[in-house]
Amino acid sequence: MMDLFLQTLANALIQSGTYALASSGLALAVGVLHIVNFAHGEFLMVGAFVAYWLSVLAGIDPIVSLVPAGAVMFAASGVIYQASIRRVLLAPELNALLLTFGIGITLQNLAVLAFGATPRVVHTAYQLTAVTVGPVSVGVAPLITLVVSVTLLAGMYAVLYRTGVGKSIRAVAQNRTGAHLVGLDVDRIYLLTFGIASALAAIAGSMVLVRIGASPHMGFGFVLKAFAIIVMAGLGNLTGVLWASLVLATAEAFVRTYVPGGGGAAEAVFFLLIFFTLVWRSWRTA
Amino acid sequence: MNRIAVVLVVVALLAMGGTDALAQREQVRIGISLPLTGPASASGKAAEAGYRLALDEINKAGGVLGRRLQILIEDDGNLPAKGVPIFTKFVTVDRVHAITGIFGSAIGVSIVGPAKLHEPLIAMLGAASPLVERGFEGYKYLFHYHPWAYHNMEAVFNFMEFVRTGTGASTIAMLYEDGPFGSAGIGDTRSELIRRGFDVPFMESFKTGSGDFTALLTRAKRHPVDVLFWIGFDADALPIAVQSREIGFKPRLIFGSPASWPVGYEGNPVARDVAGMAGWTSASPLPASKEFVKKYQAKFGGLTEEYMAPMGYTILTSLAAAMNKAGTTDKDRVAAELAKTDTDTPMGRLKFKPSRLSPSVYQGFDSDLWMVFQFREGRRVPVWPKHVAAGPLAWRWR
Repeated sequence: MMDLFLQTLANALIQSGTYALASSGLALAVGVLHIVNFAHGEFLMVGAFVAYWLSVLAGIDPIVSLVPAGAVMFAASGVIYQASIRRVLLAPELNALLLTFGIGITLQNLAVLAFGATPRVVHTAYQLTAVTVGPVSVGVAPLITLVVSVTLLAGMYAVLYRTGVGKSIRAVAQNRTGAHLVGLDVDRIYLLTFGIASALAAIAGSMVLVRIGASPHMGFGFVLKAFAIIVMAGLGNLTGVLWASLVLATAEAFVRTYVPGGGGAAEAVFFLLIFFTLVWRSWRTA
Repeated sequence: MNRIAVVLVVVALLAMGGTDALAQREQVRIGISLPLTGPASASGKAAEAGYRLALDEINKAGGVLGRRLQILIEDDGNLPAKGVPIFTKFVTVDRVHAITGIFGSAIGVSIVGPAKLHEPLIAMLGAASPLVERGFEGYKYLFHYHPWAYHNMEAVFNFMEFVRTGTGASTIAMLYEDGPFGSAGIGDTRSELIRRGFDVPFMESFKTGSGDFTALLTRAKRHPVDVLFWIGFDADALPIAVQSREIGFKPRLIFGSPASWPVGYEGNPVARDVAGMAGWTSASPLPASKEFVKKYQAKFGGLTEEYMAPMGYTILTSLAAAMNKAGTTDKDRVAAELAKTDTDTPMGRLKFKPSRLSPSVYQGFDSDLWMVFQFREGRRVPVWPKHVAAGPLAWRWR
């Protein structure tokens, strides 16, 4: 019984790495640009396909591909930002929501047209490898994802709180007008932030490729969970993303393990967490 | 003079239109409804290739009734909202001589009403749910080629019996997706396995595409499981195989039954000896299958492992043969000839019999269609049943 409990905790910890990686970019976009980017899941999908094709055509490992995948999405998001996002930043929030939803649908269908709807998988040597400690066994691939996730979040934290650029980003996030008045190029900082957020999504895509493959429809599930995580963390709270990811992953793992019929029900856990978080927040502030 | 010129032009145009209409009437037309986009597009595109291969062959051999066969392919996206208008258009606008395709059961059920209204000849490609069978009760013009869902489960039971006989395996863990595909009749499936003497200590649902199976596999690992049997979609194949390794769950066989498998799965070492069920594989030793593979390679320059390709090919060739034998496109006489079909196909012997739940419906393939293969050296190697096996069942999953 204790073995099952420990393995469940390990499963949760491992899954939280994937969730944190998938949601950190969304948290950044919400925190700084104040838009909920519903195309974030499709940016993740683009990263997975970049890593897939680099693996198939050039034999590049998906872990190495996280750099080009991030770079491709960083560049692509610049185009998307200039062509569309920046035009709705000052408009009512619903406009940005609908716009990013449309971008997501477009990317998804372009991927179906280009690659078909069938998932695609890659092979890596560590896909078959697991680390066993006592009764607990975890895969090397998700372990790497966890390490990458924690490293990236720590790096992001360092950039935001220890560098001039980070200070500018925080200033714009806190008060766009004030930042503009003290001479910051707000538009440029938005562009940079949106690029970093999109690159983080693509990096998450290249990391999940090893475990679940790449498919045009893979992004939607991630964006829903990422949304639950940033709601729990507090909109725009980057440091809270790790803990919120751990809470979601743990809740799902325990429902799947200990609740009869939990395999299907676990996918509703994030709805419940959003609900309880919002109720608790409104009760606390009432 | 001008008036005469105008009249002549009008007459000429009418004549041309009339000629076109005549040409259209003279052609034998078959409407095909397929999911060419959306999640089922892999199967739809495979079926389209099969139909096109058959079309070339039929027209090269002189067409149907001495006329050129024409096929009208429409994309239904596997959605009833598209499938029903396409079906109605085939009957009322295109006035086709027969309708084929129809992959998803949801469309199969949705066209029952329009079909009973217009009564076209239907050669159905998929739609395996018994709801479709029940819906068409009393209908005289439905030829259902694909096995029904209960045929599929019969094949699973027979394979499990084979595994037990050969290896002594008796304990099965079941994972099934919680949608209609995976969960329909799942309780009956478990009961039947238990009735046949198997132990099913673990059965759990999952959300397809969720990608995280570690918790469920951790629970399954607690039981001394011989076979992990999962019912889901292609998106679930990799996570199940990979995450079994990650948590150290090693059943002696992983057996899945998705309609299609991910691209690149064959060549992935994680898939080695994973078993799957298919209506056909390109490695099938049947002579008609070898012939089909040769023709397919000649036309498309590559191989397919999707059984919907030979299914589409089989449907169109048998339909054309029945029309030629009937000597007419009259649906009653074509249906009578089609009912007499008894021929070798790439997928085995095709012979129609009254359907089990709705005897007016003609049923083509049954549980005998299915074979089980294992992924080995980047290929799908048939291992069951004996008459198509190209290798032994690899036991003790590595």
